[in-house]
Amino acid sequence: MKGTVVVTGAARGIGRVIAETLLNTGPFTVVGVDIAPELAFTEGIVPVQVDLTAGDGPATVRSAVEDTALPLLGVVNNAGITRDARLVNMTDEDFSAVLDVNLGGAYRLTEALAPLIIPGGAVVNIASRAYLGNFGQFNYSMSKGGLVGLTRALAIDLAPDIRANAIAPGLIASEMSMGIPDDIREKMIAAIPLDRMGTPQEIANAVFFLLSPQSSYITGHVLVVGGGRSLT
Amino acid sequence: MGEARIPEAVGIDPPSLPLGFLFWAETRIGTWEEAKAELSLAFEGSRESAQKEESFVYIVSNDALLGRTGGLSAMVAAGLLSGSRTAAVEGWKKGWTANVVAYEADQDPASVLERALHLLEDGMISGELVHLGPGHVGKALA
Repeated sequence: MKGTVVVTGAARGIGRVIAETLLNTGPFTVVGVDIAPELAFTEGIVPVQVDLTAGDGPATVRSAVEDTALPLLGVVNNAGITRDARLVNMTDEDFSAVLDVNLGGAYRLTEALAPLIIPGGAVVNIASRAYLGNFGQFNYSMSKGGLVGLTRALAIDLAPDIRANAIAPGLIASEMSMGIPDDIREKMIAAIPLDRMGTPQEIANAVFFLLSPQSSYITGHVLVVGGGRSLT
Repeated sequence: MGEARIPEAVGIDPPSLPLGFLFWAETRIGTWEEAKAELSLAFEGSRESAQKEESFVYIVSNDALLGRTGGLSAMVAAGLLSGSRTAAVEGWKKGWTANVVAYEADQDPASVLERALHLLEDGMISGELVHLGPGHVGKALA
């Protein structure tokens, strides 16, 4: 069935690859959401430049979905930021910003769009392996853990017609991970059994799976896509 | 002096703590703003405790952790769990710990508090989710 999928953070990084993958391989019209006005969306994506943490952001996305005149098949909450610091040095501003974008934005958008998702549809939340804990990321861990909690609640509340799952990416070769100093990144890679960073495409593949009927009996799950890093 | 926060609805008074921070999460949360305020309160108390190199413990509902009481309370409970794990890594070499106690709905709050105080004083256990009762067995919690 042809339908619409909403992807947040879709103008760059992992979100951009998710949006492109859905556009190119699925029966989807993709509504791409991003806050960054300086970035261009991939051609073919319905662009919505909006701040999901602001009052009418989610309603604007909802209008764009309704304008596609297609059933809403899925929502991919991918938008996220980091503001890393040890807990003892973390500022109120950095804590608040990360919570607002990573968790508040996803919650508010899902609240706005859930009534539009048709039976058989799905929500996929992009969490992080950091939800299991990660040095220097109290705010980020908390936001991504919160997203896992939201996923579990959605899986219960939206059942039996709509599924909700989360993906917890490990170290992925993206703009975010390229900001990590080289020596630290090399140490991180050395702790990954598959001995490399993941690619945005590998996250997009997991998103595609969790949106598709191939995963029709999976809900409330956290799929860790991390090359085995959680084992070492 | 330490600090303890227990919501009125729990029905017991916050204990006087010589050290550390104890945070009992509210479960009746109606808006994102309330959820964020709850997480922010926990953050502020945890940061202060960490700056003093003192341990902290969060108390959450097992039902909330599992998503049975709606998205907002689930976000708070699961967010606290993840935050505590990160804090546990950061605090270990400094000698302070961070843990979570998850209680079931029918449990006596005073008993729950007692277990949390044990964890706060323990000093060796860190980054743990301690369930009181068997309600978590066979459930999807990681």
